Amino acid sequence: MKLSFAHMGPISVYRRLIEALGHEVIMPQKPTQRTFDLGTKYSPEFLCFPFKCLTGTFIEALERGAEGIITVGTSQSCRAGFYAEIHRRIMKSLGYSAQFFALDFHRPREFIQTLAELKGNCSWWRFIDIIRLYYAIIAALDRLQAKVRLLRAYEQRAGDFVRVWQQILELFDTCRSRREIPELERSALELISRLPLRQAENAVRIAIVGEVYVVMEAHANLDLETKLASLGVEVVNSQYISHWLRRRLPWHKASVEIALARASQYLKIDLGGHDQENIAHIIEYREQGVDGIIHLLPFGCLPELVVQSILPRLSKDLDLPILSLSVDEQQSTANYHTRIEAFVDLVRTKKRSRARTFWPIQAHPDFTGILEPVNAARLGAIAVAAGTFPWC
Amino acid sequence: MGDNEATSFVGWRKSNIMTIGLPRALLYYYYGPFWITFFRHLDIPVTVSGATTKTTVDTGIKHSVAEMCLPVKVFCGHVAELIAAGADRIFIPRMMAVEKDKYFCPKFLGLPDMIRHVLPESADRILTADVKCDRETEITFAMRDQLARSLGVSSRRLAAAINAGRKVWNAFRARNRQGLTAAEALAETTGLNPSPPKPHSPPLPRTAEAALRVGLLGYVYNIYDAYIGMNIVNKLRTLGAFPVTFEMIDDAAIMEKLCSFDKTLPWTFSNKLLGAGYNLFADPGIDGLIHITAFGCGPDSMLGKLLELAAAEAAKPFITVRVDEHGGETHMLTRLEAFTDMLRRKNRRRVEGCRL
Repeated sequence: MKLSFAHMGPISVYRRLIEALGHEVIMPQKPTQRTFDLGTKYSPEFLCFPFKCLTGTFIEALERGAEGIITVGTSQSCRAGFYAEIHRRIMKSLGYSAQFFALDFHRPREFIQTLAELKGNCSWWRFIDIIRLYYAIIAALDRLQAKVRLLRAYEQRAGDFVRVWQQILELFDTCRSRREIPELERSALELISRLPLRQAENAVRIAIVGEVYVVMEAHANLDLETKLASLGVEVVNSQYISHWLRRRLPWHKASVEIALARASQYLKIDLGGHDQENIAHIIEYREQGVDGIIHLLPFGCLPELVVQSILPRLSKDLDLPILSLSVDEQQSTANYHTRIEAFVDLVRTKKRSRARTFWPIQAHPDFTGILEPVNAARLGAIAVAAGTFPWC
Repeated sequence: MGDNEATSFVGWRKSNIMTIGLPRALLYYYYGPFWITFFRHLDIPVTVSGATTKTTVDTGIKHSVAEMCLPVKVFCGHVAELIAAGADRIFIPRMMAVEKDKYFCPKFLGLPDMIRHVLPESADRILTADVKCDRETEITFAMRDQLARSLGVSSRRLAAAINAGRKVWNAFRARNRQGLTAAEALAETTGLNPSPPKPHSPPLPRTAEAALRVGLLGYVYNIYDAYIGMNIVNKLRTLGAFPVTFEMIDDAAIMEKLCSFDKTLPWTFSNKLLGAGYNLFADPGIDGLIHITAFGCGPDSMLGKLLELAAAEAAKPFITVRVDEHGGETHMLTRLEAFTDMLRRKNRRRVEGCRL
């Protein structure tokens, strides 16, 4: 069966995973203006932006011959959990006979059933083996990406990091077993460490939190990370597929609850999105010395609007600048970039004027290496203080 | 507020006892009978805020984030008014679930937290209780001990008050099913005035033609709110169209229409509207359906699509009326008139077609 999926996260790994199960893959195209136009045209007007992006992506995949779509769903209060049901109906009304495989983590029986349909002929043991391999690859890539996001602020030749990231993806494309991963990760770090870096006087570190799709996907957030890196900002991203998956595992439940409990003084219960998690992230990032937060939400996002209502208070309590940006299909780059530049200026000024209660980034023992030509061993030692959670 | 007419005092106690303010917004129109009876039974005076006015909406807008949906902005406005009126506590229940595996919109789940942060002066005045139960007819509060403590009553009295509230609420629902709108049944069961209709809306001439029956789909806080709903029930009635709302349809019938679904919407009230919509689409006695929604409503963006698809399948007239904070009664009236005219013309043509 020819399968396709959303353009979100490490898609080349998804392709290999699905191919390993014996399916053909129609790679989702990177969303373009046409994707947004299609999505906006065929989606309900007030549905959130990620839904429209997916509508467009799915239509384009179906046009290119996909027969099935793999996606996720939940049974919680956020609209994202019900995307697949509406997508299925929209595709049907457009005349496509696509089969939807919605993996619903909250309905164990249906979840297993969908997996059984997807795994085809391979045995459950083999299937679990495959999942573990590709999960390990995704986790390794996520670790590397966290480092790249920090170091990209010091890029000397424009485009270096994009190129190196492409090389790393190709490197991992050859990975056939979990045993190879540590070695591959080492050579990836080697690649990164060979890049020339520039000195930066007043680097700041900004974390991005918010709704998972717009936080993860550059096309949905007008390439926020590139913009920040070009302004010399170390970026910490709160959303990684591997973290998300790990948190779904039943034996991680207790540690997730402990982590979320920190947010409960602001928001007592989980609303079904990334709401409580985002508040917990913000509190945690503050402790880890992040200088500012950018909160991204799609226009009208239900859980994130509640978070947005709480942000002014959180910003005051933590003495931490927070910029909340809402994105949708109106890609107003100029407005967006002006606000980001102003925010980065503000964060810089604040950092300079504030008596440092937290470790200054330049003086951090893990970080000193970056200001000299970096060597691989040093780079490995950058534990990326920010960006990793005790529960991830 | 300040206007005595808009304020209804219920229950009697010495003046130094705390009064509880109940915002006349969101699910007040549905669970109001339960809450009012509950507090009455505990001898706690209750103040219900007045009908939503332009000022209420403006106050609400001032305090909420820009993209918030209109009903929640209206709710903020009501809370601000109650604070200004000096209510000691404002009752903001956290509506979590009234049936198994179904929830409320995230904004309801986070409502007490949200209000506490957008209206800092309300922080120490909010009285909140989690509502979480498996069956709506057995509605109750979770963590009753805590609630009893904050109200200063024994848990036995609290249980009795919940029982009394539930009884009145079930009576209210029974009256709904007999054909009363939620606002009418609310007025009847609690003895409170419904939001007073505006005195100067000239009654339109009743047409001589046969009355229409239209399905009126929308959340209670949209249809019965004086500002959002603009008295749509009466407007339709004067146009000779009699609205049928979801609360008039038996819950069992609603659920029956949904059981063929592999997965239903995650929100209780959206599901009720969807089931009611399917019932009304299948009912040959219904001439057309009106879906009234407020700007920024998330669940309605999905519900609306499902209703739209069902309308196409049932080949029944269907209109969506979206209301935002700019108000303006004329746009509503014009569209209702056009819709009922269209239904009449359609019926006339059908009758003529039969004659030929």
